[in-house]
Parts: sequence; structure tokens; C-alpha cells
Amino acid sequence: MERWNQIINTALLGTAKKQADAQGLQGPLQAAAATILGNAGTDREEQFLQLAAVVYNYRQSGIQPVTTTVPPLPVCPAETKAYCPPAAIRALQPVLETDSIQLLQLWLEHCTQRHFILPPAQLPVMLDKAWRNKSLRALTAAAGGYRAEWLGQFNPDWNFSRVAETLEERWENGATAQRVEALQELRATDPVMALTWLQQSWAKESATVKAELLAVLEQPPQESDLEWLESLLTEKSKTVKEIVVRLLKKLPGSSIHELYWQVLAGAVQPQWDGHIVVALPELTDERIFQSGIEKLSNSKSVADETHILYQLISAVHPARWETHFGRTPAEVIRLFLQYETLQPFVPALVQAITWFEAKEWATTFMEHSETFYIDILPMLPTTQQQQLSEHHFVEHPEAIIKYAGQNPAEWSVALCTRILRYAASQPYTYNQLYMNNVIRQIPVAIAATLDNIVPTESYHVGYWNNIKVHLGKLIQAKSLLPGCFNQ
Amino acid sequence: MNLSDEQVLAMAPDDASRKSGKDLANPAKWVSKGVGDNALWGECQGSGSKPYQTQIDTGNMAFKCSCPSRKFPCKHGLGLLLQYSRQPDSFAATTPPAWVSEWLAKRAEREEKKVAAAGAPEKQVDTAAQAKRQQARQQKVADGAAELLRWIKDLVRNGIMDLPEKDAAFFENMERRMVDAQAGGLAGMMRELADISYFHEGWQTVFMNQLLRIYLVIQGYQHIDQLPFLLQQDIRSLIGFTQSQEELKEQTGITDTWRVLGKQTTEEDRLTVERYWLYGIHTRRRALILQFFVRGQSTIAQPLTPGSTIQAELVYFPSAAPLRAIIKQQMTIPPDHTFSGFSGWDEVVASQTATAAVLPVYNDQVYTIATLTPVWHQEQWWLQDSRQQLMPVKKGFPHIWKLLAFSGGAPLHMAVTGREMQYEPIGVWHEHEYKIL
Repeated sequence: MERWNQIINTALLGTAKKQADAQGLQGPLQAAAATILGNAGTDREEQFLQLAAVVYNYRQSGIQPVTTTVPPLPVCPAETKAYCPPAAIRALQPVLETDSIQLLQLWLEHCTQRHFILPPAQLPVMLDKAWRNKSLRALTAAAGGYRAEWLGQFNPDWNFSRVAETLEERWENGATAQRVEALQELRATDPVMALTWLQQSWAKESATVKAELLAVLEQPPQESDLEWLESLLTEKSKTVKEIVVRLLKKLPGSSIHELYWQVLAGAVQPQWDGHIVVALPELTDERIFQSGIEKLSNSKSVADETHILYQLISAVHPARWETHFGRTPAEVIRLFLQYETLQPFVPALVQAITWFEAKEWATTFMEHSETFYIDILPMLPTTQQQQLSEHHFVEHPEAIIKYAGQNPAEWSVALCTRILRYAASQPYTYNQLYMNNVIRQIPVAIAATLDNIVPTESYHVGYWNNIKVHLGKLIQAKSLLPGCFNQ
Repeated sequence: MNLSDEQVLAMAPDDASRKSGKDLANPAKWVSKGVGDNALWGECQGSGSKPYQTQIDTGNMAFKCSCPSRKFPCKHGLGLLLQYSRQPDSFAATTPPAWVSEWLAKRAEREEKKVAAAGAPEKQVDTAAQAKRQQARQQKVADGAAELLRWIKDLVRNGIMDLPEKDAAFFENMERRMVDAQAGGLAGMMRELADISYFHEGWQTVFMNQLLRIYLVIQGYQHIDQLPFLLQQDIRSLIGFTQSQEELKEQTGITDTWRVLGKQTTEEDRLTVERYWLYGIHTRRRALILQFFVRGQSTIAQPLTPGSTIQAELVYFPSAAPLRAIIKQQMTIPPDHTFSGFSGWDEVVASQTATAAVLPVYNDQVYTIATLTPVWHQEQWWLQDSRQQLMPVKKGFPHIWKLLAFSGGAPLHMAVTGREMQYEPIGVWHEHEYKIL
């Protein structure tokens, strides 16, 4: 290296300033240099180039590998699960090409349900996808096997993947996405234990993780969480506190809910003759307004008093009216629909049903109401949702499309046709990205009639055709699932 | 024929074709498709009224399409092959339609003609005129080489310190002069000099390496009569004299089962250069097949599938260290995943020393090396052999994570390209199968 550096130094300065010399050369190089530099028939530049060429060749002919002790990388443990069958890998390629996270999620769900793991060649691409999309992390970790966890040691972006078989392992040792998922699973089967886990680790968590874990309690909140949640109102983090307040508002036993109810119980009074009087008493407790209830109406046609009552009714569990009136849910709904004093608050009751996810109330409401309230749609059983969506599509196309996209159930072909017809007339809103996000719900059977869906405006045809081609690819990729996992 | 997505896409001439090919791997785009013993065909609905007729000779991997694209293979060919590799069951096995069988018959006929032509007597050549032309060119090249040598000496006299401040014309002018002097090889070497990034640390060594290579080639040419015959051929080829491929094909080649270890594609001006690295399983010889495409111009090429195995007769270009070859004839055969190669880096460097001894201006080589483990050392990745010897992985190597995923910290047999202190893995043997990176 020393010799080569000499050559570079001479080259940098130029032979006009520094002549080539034999300094630092030994053995055969010295002899060669003596011959070259001793040749009076050649100029300085020629001598330098000849000497440099000799050193260049000497260097390249004598290259040696580096011999040093380097601590080896930890060896990845052998996988305990089988790799996906080749057909599944072939099906993964078109899924990746569509760029649909939902389709990728679907592929990963099938992969993990069948207890397969990804072969090494696919890991970098999949880990990268999961790094960019949080929603894929827990699934990729489950499908990544030990090798994904091993790779995460060297690439900090991929450090969300840990192999954990049991719920406890995932909770104790998993990355945040895996812990959230473990808590969700436990919450579904044993909510009290899930709360205990959360309480035990609470003090050690950062505010961001606290927010993510706390959000798990939202689906749905339990009475048993109440005491602990009330104690969290003193949390320092604003985000955490906001989640706590939202959770408490969803719990009928919470202090805030009780406060609302006390006001409402005084405001809505059944009379001896069967009439119902609605009058807001004077509100002295400022906590009501501090919790987010607005004092003033933003519409001239709605009095401030009505506006406050409206907000309170939509924030109180509908079951409270059962005891208040001493009636069944069906009778309570009828009261709201029949009495002039309560009629303005029917939409508020619908909001309360959806806010507290009171599904039975929702079904009962739909049995008695002649008016269709779109907000109640997500609370209904899937089949009824789809029937109603189809029936009322013309009145509320956008809301129905929104709710249909939120429900993971696959659409009926009839509903899908309606949605896609509408999408064809609004191709700039319901574009390729939209299709990527609802491919889980789009039935494969729609492929047969896709060509019959055409936009109403001729200038939309080109754009819609591009969307249709993309949708065709999505459907084609989806059609391979889950059959491609059969060995 | 069992190809992976990667293998099919590796055949694409550029990224645009790769993307379009993927888009066309969609059954909805194809009006009809089918598969036969040695052929794959389909009709793709394009923008015209008639669908394009795409056909693939799967025996010798050749493509034909009625579309106007001059790329090779075109997006339709890639799309069809990709679709077949993903869903072979969706192709009905039938007898080929007339337009496919006619093409296959023509191909077979052409092969026969070639064989017949090889046996036919040669045309009369005007040797005197030919000698005169050759002499004129040699004079032009000699003048060009002398001019370049003067330029190099001027550069060396004034020093290379201020090279980063020179504009592109500094090299381009001399490159053009070499083109005028009909020394295309020297022009190419000058282009490499111009392409060096003069803002990266260590540019001085990269520059001097290339400058000395040019100097050695010029010296070699000026003293060509004193060189051994095969080295003369190398120097002539480096200067830019071409070798007739037809003449080469007349020679008896080396027949072996060759593994296509990988493909590297580089873009030089408007020229796409594809380097296919091959390894003879029985002869243990390494070979480099070069294919050139001028953008927008179709080329009769023999697409090789990286990762596949072919039974082929290869003829090497005459060289002191033969590496570049052409395929005289080939046939795709079921994959053979046997590994054979060097046991460690010491054998690799010994081989390089032997090469440098006979051909001091050699280029990147390909090696298959047993049990290499990726390790992290001094802020970069290295490949460690079973004797704890290390060689660095080329900086910016794009597939390092795929390599690590295959390795999992365990040693792997690997195929690498490179020389001296820079190597780029192109494939690994993982679970007894050769996988391209």
C-alpha cells in the first residue's frame, strides 16, 4: 500500500514537479525500478508510467484476503414451521404488484392461519412493506419466522418482528404491534386478565405505547375498567388523557356519564297523564361544558337548550331510558318516535346507539322506525346491513360506500355492482387506491360482470377503464387465495 | 420448463419492459393462449383491432411477437411467460395453431440451413483488398494510440490533482478522437475514465487503475509482435478490433452442462450491455456471454435465464485467459443444483494471480466459492470463508438483505463476481438449490 501511495502522490503532483523514484521499493520491484529509471532513452513521464504499471501489476497479482478474527453473526435458529408452498409464493408476486396493503394482509392472514412461514427470499420485501405499513407488522412478524426476527437485529427498521408462540410471550417480548395484538386477543376472551396485564406494565410504558395499548380497551370498554380508567385522568400525556376521557364517555357507569344522566333525568319527565315534558334545568356544573358539551347552538333554527339536550342524549346509553320510563327498549323507541317533545331527539338516540354500540337497540330501532338513519347501519347484522345498503343506496351513496368499506365482510354481488357503478361515475374519488383498500370486500364473482359497469359520462370512460384493469388484477390476485396455500 | 418470476423478469431488456410485462401477466389481457411440447403462445389484445400474436420457443427460449416493439423480448413475450410461470394450469395443452407451428418449422429449417451452410464452400475473398483495408485501419489505430499516449503523458506531467474541476469535455474529446481512430475499445476505456465519480474519497486510485490499464493496452499494441499469440488477441480486442463470431462458431467448442449463474445489466450511453455469467458443471470452466442492445433496435439474441441450466457448446474468444464466449448451440435442461468451486479466498486470489500473469489487464471474473458467511466488520459487510479469510462486499450492493435472509448467519456456497478487493454475490446455494439474488 505504501508503494502504491507513492505512485498516487507522484501522479497528483505531476512528474514536472516530482520525478518517479524507487523510494520504498524492495526486492524484485527495486530491480525493476532500477532498470526503468536507468533507461536514459525514456522521458520522465514514460518512466513514471512504466514504474506505476509494474507496481499496479505487482499489487493485483499479490492480493491477499484479510485475515482477522471477526466475531461471527449469531446464527438464526432453525425454523419450526414449514415454508409456504410454491403456489402461494407465485400468488404473492401479483399481490405485491398491485400495491394493495389489504390484499397483502389477506395473503398474510391465510399464511399465518395455515401455520406457514415466508421463505428467506421474500423476507426483505415483506419486512420493508411492513416497515412502511404498521397494519402489516404483527402479521409479517408471525409469517416471518425466526429469520425475520434475526434480520431485525441488523436492520433497525425491521425490529418489529419477534418470534413468540404464546400470548404471554408476545405480550412480554413482542414489539409494540405484537403486544397490541396479544392484548386484543386476550381482551376478547378474558377482559379482566387483559386489564391486569395492562395495569402491571403501565408504569414502564412510554406515552406513545400507552396510547396504542389503551386504544385496545375501546372495543368495547368494560365496566371492570372503570375504576382504573378514572384514576388515569391525572396522566401527564395529553394524548393518553384524551383517550381515557373518550373511554370513560363510553362507559355508562363513569362519573362523566352519570353527570350527563343526572341532567337528562331531570330534563325529561314523564307526567301522570302519560305526556313527557322536556325542559333543561339550570346547569350549574361547569364540568359538563368542560367535557366537550357545547353551550351554544350553531344553527338559528335550534335553540341552545335543545342543542345541549341533543348532545347529552347522544352521549348517554339508551338503556338508561328503560329504567327511567319503566319501559322495554321497543317502547322507549316508540316514545321517542311518537311524542312531539322527544321527536327532535330521535337522531340523538341513534347516535347514542352507535356510540355505545348497542346492537340490540339498533335492530329494535330499525323494526320500529319508518325513517332510515344511515348512522345506524354499522350496528346492524351484516346481512341486514347489505340489504339496507342496497335498498337505500340512491339516497346515501357516499355514506353507504364508507360504511361498507369499514365492515370487513365481503359484499354481495348486487351491492358491489351498485358501489362500482357509482364509483364509475366518480372515478377521481373512487380510484385505484380506493380499490386497493376495499379488495377484501369485493367478491371475486364480480369479475364476470365487471365489463357491464360503465360510467355515465363519456369523458370518464378512459379513466374508469384504467381503474377497471387495475381492479381486474386485484380480483385475479384475490381469486388465487386461499387455494394457493393447499399443498 | 419451471421458471420463477425473478428468472422471467431477469430476461427483460429494461425496467419499462419489466413493468409492462408484469401488467400483461393478467389473463384478462389474453384472448387465447396455449402450450405445446416446445412452445407457448397467446393472442394479446392491444390497442389495434387485431390481437398481437406472441409465441415462445421454450426449447431454445426464443421469442416472436407481431407487435411493433423493437425490444427483445417484448412486453407481450414477458407477460405471457410470466403468466405461464405463475399459473401453468391456466394454459390449455393443445397442438399449436398454424401461426405457431409455421414459425417453429421455419426456425428448425433455419437451423438446418445453418448447418448446411457451414459445410458449403466459402465465397472467394479479395485478399489483396482486404489486406489493404486492414493495413489502413492498423495505421489509423496506431496513430490514435500514439495520440492517446501523448495525452496521458501530458496529464501525468501536469498532475491529476485538479481533475475533479475538469468538465466532461476533457475526456469526451479524447474519447471521440479514439472513435475516429477506429479504436472503439480505447474509446470505451476513456468513457470509464470519464464516468469515475471524482467527488468520492479514493477517486485517485480508481483513476490511476484505469489510466494504467489504458497505458498497458497502448504499450501492448505498440509492441504487439513481441507478445504471445493469445495475448495479442486480447490486446487487439481491448483496442477495439472485433472477432468474427461466425468464424468462432466454426471452431469446436466446449460442450458441458452450464449453469447460468446470473446476469448483470449496465447502460452505457444508448447501449445496454448484458453480462451472463456461466459455470460449466463438469469442466469447471467459467464463461461470460455478452449481449449488446442499442436502444430502440431489435437484436437477434439468445436470452439466457439466470438460475437455469443449459446443455450447450460454448466457443471462447481467443484469449490468454479465456472468459468471454459465445454459445454455438444450446438446449434448456432440467436444473442441476450441484455445487463445485473454490474452497476459499486463497484459491480465488491464486487464480487471479495466475490470470494477471498472462493477462495483466483482465476484467471482473466470476467465482463459485464454498461456505462463505456474511459478517459485519469495520462498518461494512464482508464474506468470510471457512479459513476465516475475509473479502469485502462491494459498497452499495443492493441485495445484501436478501443474501443475509438466505444465510441467517450460516455459511452458504456462493457465486460472486469481481476482482482484487471488491466482490458482488450474484447467487447462493440455499437448501441444495441455486437461487439468484
